[in-house]
Amino acid sequence: MTTSSVAAPPSTGRVRVQRFGTFLSGMVMPNIPAFIAWGLITALFIQTGWTPVGILGGFGTTHGVANVGLVGPIITYLIPLLIAAQGGRMVYGLRGAVVGTVFTMGVIVGSLGTTMILGAMVCGPIGAWLIKQFDRLWEGKIRAGFEMLVSNFSAGFLGFGLAMAGYFWLSPFFDWISTILGDGVKALVNAHLLPLASLFIEPAKVVFLNNAINHGVLDQLGAQQVQQSGKSILFLLEANPGPGAGLLLAFTFFGVGISRATAPGAFIIQFLGGIHEVYFPFVLSKPMLLISVILGGATGVATNVAFHSGLVAPASPGSIFAILLETSKDSYVGVILSVVLSAAVSFIVTAIILRASRARDLAAEASGENALASAIAQNQANKGRDSRVGDLLATAGADSPQANADAAGGITTTATKISSIVFACDAGMGSSAMGATVVRNKLKKAGITDVTVENKAIANLADNVDIVITQSQLTARAKEKAPHAQHVSVDNFMASPRYDEIVDEVKASQG
Amino acid sequence: MGKVLELAQINLHGTATTSAEAIDEAGRILVATGAVTAEYPSYMHDREVLVSTYMGNFLAIPHGTNEGKDTVLASALSFVRYDEPIDWGGNPVRFVVGIAGKDGGHMDVLSSIALIFSDEEQVDRLLVAETPEEVLDLLGDVNE
Repeated sequence: MTTSSVAAPPSTGRVRVQRFGTFLSGMVMPNIPAFIAWGLITALFIQTGWTPVGILGGFGTTHGVANVGLVGPIITYLIPLLIAAQGGRMVYGLRGAVVGTVFTMGVIVGSLGTTMILGAMVCGPIGAWLIKQFDRLWEGKIRAGFEMLVSNFSAGFLGFGLAMAGYFWLSPFFDWISTILGDGVKALVNAHLLPLASLFIEPAKVVFLNNAINHGVLDQLGAQQVQQSGKSILFLLEANPGPGAGLLLAFTFFGVGISRATAPGAFIIQFLGGIHEVYFPFVLSKPMLLISVILGGATGVATNVAFHSGLVAPASPGSIFAILLETSKDSYVGVILSVVLSAAVSFIVTAIILRASRARDLAAEASGENALASAIAQNQANKGRDSRVGDLLATAGADSPQANADAAGGITTTATKISSIVFACDAGMGSSAMGATVVRNKLKKAGITDVTVENKAIANLADNVDIVITQSQLTARAKEKAPHAQHVSVDNFMASPRYDEIVDEVKASQG
Repeated sequence: MGKVLELAQINLHGTATTSAEAIDEAGRILVATGAVTAEYPSYMHDREVLVSTYMGNFLAIPHGTNEGKDTVLASALSFVRYDEPIDWGGNPVRFVVGIAGKDGGHMDVLSSIALIFSDEEQVDRLLVAETPEEVLDLLGDVNE
């Protein structure tokens, strides 16, 4: 390790939490369109939707066969798999996405009936990380020409093993988490500590265990209460759209970038359409916001406790209209107040949190066009870059050190060990292959064995490599694909003086 | 499957005087082997317009674009040496290695060529080689 050019690092705990937050955001935010599409389909076509359509909403039968619909498969498979793929991609490019997604499929099918967003957020990145480690084992040791074979089969076998592990071992674990949350809610109901139930319900909601809790626990208990007293507050614990609505409104006014732009539409789908899921990604991408929805939810519950208000039947979906339709005749004041107050509390707390992190969010937003890019930027910034990088860039020609400046801005750095070099060209089959061979050979001669040198098409370049080498005409294009790598331009592929500089740099980074 | 580089695909006295002619010359050899269709050379020209295939050390490696890959039926190489340097976008080129790559089958060959051409002594030997056999020998295990 070389020494860092920047002074004392900030508390690593905080940095880690931030990194984790940005990682979650990068995993979830790009998939928000899928949530919205699903939300629209659900709000319109399910049995209790605006224009129920069995073949789309997944109820009723066609020619005696039960309709599958779009709603169930999208939330069961598509959305978790999209999140897993994105999580995997952030860790290890497309290859990571493939393995992480296969892993997730095991968990999804293993615990069918429970929506596995949580599983996807765990398995996607872990699967990708595993194949990354797996690849390291034989990187550079394979005879040229066999890379494709080995690469496909190694990832295939790993995916096979992970899908099995997910199906048999991990899915019971995720099921167990959802059971615990349900049991927690049940215990609080029995202990008459209802507002505290929000502590379980809100976190459970954002990882999509809302239906498990709602239909598994609350509906049953609520139905019993209705038989005794004609109404139940339990139907409102999860279905109250207030906390989510407040959160989305706060994003509408105080958010930045993509989340701000998306929030108003999400608000309509959530509050009027009753599809709460559209606000979950906002919380997932900024876990601090759990505080807002928990406090908002608890406020709503406390209001209903105070007014002895309740619903006569489950409100599904949790739209403001469905809730008003099911409100017990003596409870309108309490129920409406509970929605308004919970929204207000959630709005205020979310606004405070967003204001507090605004500078950072804006900076992140500025360094990349979207949350995904900013997540990666954050990652790279945290990973850090040595100051020598700037020097090398300068010698490499007409390159502006822009990307580096961005990456180094703000958060501090410890120098990274250079472990991956990619040679990129247009199609990834001609010049880059030759260049990669030459560099690999030079590194080998210098006694460096733990650095991977690959050749790729620029189109397949991922922003997770340390050094990217390209023909000078192609460097600009490569920078777009991998803004945080160090870029080296060469003109003479066979004997560029840059190669020796790179070898020196790699040596130095190994300390 | 035949070898990717046969004696007949090696010419030590190319006749081209410009890079465009040299690409045609390489293309003709590749088409003659049956490894590529007659359209392939036009994709080689496309690729050259996109980015020069000049590699340094007197070497250029014209090959097709990604779009043209359907015209490649098998992996093959052509090897043409020129007595006078050809002006390749301002760089002197003495060796033009045409490449047709199918399913990565050319990677082995590319790697050995890269290693040979990155070593100036080897390049010097190629410059003075007198027969195609000698060139094949120098290129070593290209075909294995």
